[in-house]
Amino acid sequence: MSAPNQRHSVAIVGGGATGVLLAAHLLRNEEADIRVTLIEREGSFGRGLAYSAVQRDHKVNVPSRGMSAFADDSEHFLRWLKAHGYAEGNDPWSFVARSTYGTYLADVLREADRARPGRLVVLSEEAIAVRETAAGIETRLANGTSVLSHHAVLAVGHETQPARGRGIAVRVGSARDTPLDPYARVMILGSGLSMVDAWLSLAEANHKGPILVVSRNGLLPQAHRDVPPIEIDAADVPFGTNVQYFMRWFRDLADETEETGGDWRSVVDGLRPFNQRIWQSWSEHSRRQFLLHLRPWWNIHRHRLPPDLHRRMIEAVDQGQATLIAGEFLGIAQHGDMVDATIRRRGARDEETIEVARVYDCGGVSVDVEASSNPLIRDLVATGRGRPDPLHIGLDVTEDNFVIDAAGQPSRRLLVAGPLTRGRFFEIEAIPDIRLQCARLAERLTGGQVAQARRFPSS
Amino acid sequence: MGWRSGAEPLGVPPRHTNHSRQMLTKKGKYGLKALTHLAALPPGDLAFVGEVARANNIPKKFLDAILAELRNAGFVYSRKGKAGGYCLARPPEEIKIGHVVRVLDGPLAPIPCASKTRYQPCDDCEEATCRVRHLMLDVRNAIAEVLDNTSLAEMRDAGGPEKLVEEEPIRA
Ligand SMILES: Cc1cc2nc3c(=O)[nH]c(=O)nc-3n(C[C@H](O)[C@H](O)[C@H](O)COP(=O)(O)OP(=O)(O)OC[C@H]3O[C@@H](n4cnc5c(N)ncnc54)[C@H](O)[C@@H]3O)c2cc1C
Repeated sequence: MSAPNQRHSVAIVGGGATGVLLAAHLLRNEEADIRVTLIEREGSFGRGLAYSAVQRDHKVNVPSRGMSAFADDSEHFLRWLKAHGYAEGNDPWSFVARSTYGTYLADVLREADRARPGRLVVLSEEAIAVRETAAGIETRLANGTSVLSHHAVLAVGHETQPARGRGIAVRVGSARDTPLDPYARVMILGSGLSMVDAWLSLAEANHKGPILVVSRNGLLPQAHRDVPPIEIDAADVPFGTNVQYFMRWFRDLADETEETGGDWRSVVDGLRPFNQRIWQSWSEHSRRQFLLHLRPWWNIHRHRLPPDLHRRMIEAVDQGQATLIAGEFLGIAQHGDMVDATIRRRGARDEETIEVARVYDCGGVSVDVEASSNPLIRDLVATGRGRPDPLHIGLDVTEDNFVIDAAGQPSRRLLVAGPLTRGRFFEIEAIPDIRLQCARLAERLTGGQVAQARRFPSS
Repeated sequence: MGWRSGAEPLGVPPRHTNHSRQMLTKKGKYGLKALTHLAALPPGDLAFVGEVARANNIPKKFLDAILAELRNAGFVYSRKGKAGGYCLARPPEEIKIGHVVRVLDGPLAPIPCASKTRYQPCDDCEEATCRVRHLMLDVRNAIAEVLDNTSLAEMRDAGGPEKLVEEEPIRA
């Protein structure tokens, strides 16, 4: 077991985009006397769920100008692209392959390590539990050893198991996603960006069979367009109202913007810096209503597709290769090689059972942490050291990202970063927001760290 | 496909516009007084409009309209009938003064040209170079900062002679 010394130490569990961005921000402060241990079970750093995609068509959904690792150095990613010979580096409004972005993040980590030698330790291990001790926090690894540090940050990201039809439904690109009969009929649950990923994988594999896309609303993500965000201040935004009032305000603003030759996207993008505050100003009832009635509608406007992929998707629907079904997914049963999926179309009274070769679950990646497949999260929740947020879309954390335990007591050592904090922040899924959160956390963890470090006895 | 694609998720009332010509209108002031009144009620109690109007010196018709707007925005809750009346829809600690003022008076702005969504240009000056407007944009952010960080509970408890006698119990 490695013991913490005087030097302030932070263990980060998860080396996906969030873990890497946090490590890079922690090491960026040249004055901070800090040691960072980054623990990642998959063996590669900076990839995680989103940027481990290998297909060229699996592109980022944020233009290059928004994907810098550092919010205060917005050209960083563009410079990296140019330096590495990517033509996209010359176009701030390009959409790179997600694998390229993963390579960039790995470089960001390498660069952070090079700039501050001896400060970063990376471990290719799975963390299975965390325990607070008198002197710090212990992160237990699957290999039987532990890492002891002053703070630990969980950046374990997305759930990797299908939320629905467990054991039968498959996640795209997972080990169980074996080659299919190209003429077989398949079903995709969900119609968001992950569905488009799945459809692109099928297209890449030359799949010719019909693809049924089932989602509650049957809505496809909208396309990006290169338009500037509207200028708007906090003093203009109606915080703290109910959802109906807010939506009316939003629609009026979008209408007015379009009437004067603008684009609704400018309104969505202009509001983005305020989304966390809007979410937090709502009552729990309003947040629940938003999740229940508006989330899918919001998602297709907020999380948009690169225009070329959008066009191809629309074509596939027009040509009948993909069929959008608005309806409810009810159940799934395996029989032999085939799968029976039961759905109810919107407005229909009767259920319908459709035989397909495979069901892909492309539903939301936010899963109730009480049903997590991650051993560390399971342990955290089972031992009462952590709990779901009131809406069960992530872990309950304080405004400063500290984990709140089952009794409502915030931890002083254990923090969470990234999408798992969505219960409190909501708009914390994509890089532009994650990097800001990492910058804020790094500042807190390195600022005042000297005073804090003294409180720990050396051993 | 525009931003209206898909189902209309919730019933959306007709468009409304708010053109405030003044930092805090009478409407805003009355609304805040009424909310303060409701915030002082024992939990679970409702107050009749007439009662609130009388106690705060607000014309009842005007207050009816104000409370209806506050209800539409989700700040107050009303019940019809004999045991009816109004009460807060959220704990007074959660209701921020700035949030209420935006609903009643529109975007926070010391002068109309210093609003971005309800911008009303002045006919006698150039927006881009007007130094007054620049300053007023800073002022509005400062106003928002104060009003958004003050809750209805804090406003209710600020000053007022009857509060002076309510002291924290002294514990040994
Ligand atoms: C398919 C997809 C595409 C996306 N595209 C974009 C995009 O183009 N642009 C954008 O801005 N955002 C995009 N996003 C948003 C995305 O949330 C973030 O960009 C980012 O992936 C979040 O990274 P993360 O590290 O928090 O989570 P993850 O990517 O889930 O990474 C978590 C990491 O932690 C590791 N881990 C988990 N548990 C343990 C454990 N117990 N021990 C050790 N290691 C562990 C995992 O192996 C994984 O590598 C996309 C998301 C998805 C799902």
